[in-house]
Amino acid sequence: MTTCCIRPLLFCLALLSSPAGAEDWQLQRMPWGDPDFQGIWTSATVTTLERPDELPNLVLTELEAAAVESGMEDLREAIDNIGEGDLEAGGDVGGYNSFWMDPGTRVVRVRGEPRGSIITHPEDGQIPFRFTEKLRMYWNIYKVLTWTDHPEQRSEGERCTVGFGSTGGPPMLPVLYNNNYQFAQSPGHVMILVEMNHNVRTLRIGGEPLPEVIKPWFGDSIARWEGDTLVVETSQLHPEQFLRLAIKHQVMMGTDTRVTERFTRLNENELLYQFTVSDPDIYTEDWQGEMTLRKSEGPIYEYACHEGNYALPNILAGARQEEQE
Amino acid sequence: MGQNSPLKTLLWFTAVILAPMAVADYEPPRTADGKPDLNGLWQVLNTANYNLEARDSRAAMQMREGPVVPVPAKELVPLGAVGAVPASLGVVKDGKIPYQDWARKQRDDNAANWLERDPEIKCYLPGIPRATYMPFPFQIFHNKDALVFSYEYAGAVRNVALSDPGPAPIPSWMGQSWAEWDGDTLVIHTDGQNDQTWFDRAGNFHSEELIVTERFTRTSEHTMQYEATLEDPAVFTRPWTISMPLYKRVGSDDRLMQFNCVTFVEELMYGHLRKEPLQ
Repeated sequence: MTTCCIRPLLFCLALLSSPAGAEDWQLQRMPWGDPDFQGIWTSATVTTLERPDELPNLVLTELEAAAVESGMEDLREAIDNIGEGDLEAGGDVGGYNSFWMDPGTRVVRVRGEPRGSIITHPEDGQIPFRFTEKLRMYWNIYKVLTWTDHPEQRSEGERCTVGFGSTGGPPMLPVLYNNNYQFAQSPGHVMILVEMNHNVRTLRIGGEPLPEVIKPWFGDSIARWEGDTLVVETSQLHPEQFLRLAIKHQVMMGTDTRVTERFTRLNENELLYQFTVSDPDIYTEDWQGEMTLRKSEGPIYEYACHEGNYALPNILAGARQEEQE
Repeated sequence: MGQNSPLKTLLWFTAVILAPMAVADYEPPRTADGKPDLNGLWQVLNTANYNLEARDSRAAMQMREGPVVPVPAKELVPLGAVGAVPASLGVVKDGKIPYQDWARKQRDDNAANWLERDPEIKCYLPGIPRATYMPFPFQIFHNKDALVFSYEYAGAVRNVALSDPGPAPIPSWMGQSWAEWDGDTLVIHTDGQNDQTWFDRAGNFHSEELIVTERFTRTSEHTMQYEATLEDPAVFTRPWTISMPLYKRVGSDDRLMQFNCVTFVEELMYGHLRKEPLQ
């Protein structure tokens, strides 16, 4: 976790206090002419993928934005202020305290405009699931959370195959922690290192899709430049990455789902990230989202998940123990 | 006939003399800031991952006593020739790894228990230098502001700093790396590796004190010389160096695939915890 809680806060304050600097900014280019997106970017935000009931509009008033942000502060305090004394034997021991999380402290702002959801279309800010597909997703969530007969039944985050939810994408969505991405470029390629779990998305500019039998984690991505915007088309998603389950979002993707991502550098500190998800088998219409990735300081440290995965064997061992009792 | 004309003789001598120099004087393609361009896919074509030291071919990675000669460990018998090990020429510059006595015994014990101990079997991150000579390619993203190594094996990645960040904050599987240029040679310093990674499948190992200094020198359009000097006073009697060529993958081979082996080892690591373990 390069940014725990202080740094994003300071950074956002700096951003808000110096909007004038953006006007002097000029797009830097790589020596071969492509826009320079290099650096470490964070997507940490309190804004959720789907719009909460209490926020009817995509664009928030400053008052609404402040309320959403202070709500997260209250949640942090609630998480950290557990009761005095020993926990009851056999009771819920709770999860991480907020020190270990990086859920962001600010709402998404796109060109300064505070947002009530990452989803921009449909207008209600909700994922347009087909009814039966939403039921299927709930059934899959139930299975992933409760079935313990086999390691393959657990979530991808617990198995350490990829990070939680859709942190690695596509689309790359914010989760509770490690919301950092490093971009590096070479002629013909853009590399995105996703902090959780040291996952590399190698976006090649142009070229042919992989043979259909190959379905990589994060899919097969082919990119192109439209002006100074990097457009990335991805399909052939890994079948086991179909349920993107995180506390902050729940999404379902088929192997044939097509995700189009658009990256546009807005200024020194902001990279606009827009995406469209298309799959008529799962969704009644294409849905779209956008958010701003912000420059993050400090390096990305190693996120070695599988090597220290005590959770998965302990979940299975706990279930076997319960069966004995 | 002119076959032995002084001009031809001169040309021939010139060619013979200049040929070896051509490697030393190879003019690599350069990035915009004038450094040799290391971008692309690279891979070894050797057996260093089996054994850094020279060793003859044999029937299996782990052997046991047989009635006449040693035979493969029981678990490896079904693999037949696929589980056999090709010969290694060796990549250690002075031939042998200069182990302290206790450490050589530890290495031999590691080799005898390879199936239980080699971190590669569990798909763990390979560490440095092993990541370089795994039998998989890796892609270098290189320009004046970034240097990232993306390895096909286990999706390992190494994000190399471009100035000395000071000592690593905590040990990690891939360590902390920073790079500088020595003429046209890229030098990468790596510290902060934990003691869980090995150098090869032969049980060669190190402690958390390991410091690796790697040198990457382009030698032709399609080759790059790789050297790594390993210092670890807790395990070795002196620093030692491995050296091997890296080959550039070109054309239709110029494509990093994905080898996310985490799921491939779930049965091995967690199969005994299934509700009904498979027979």
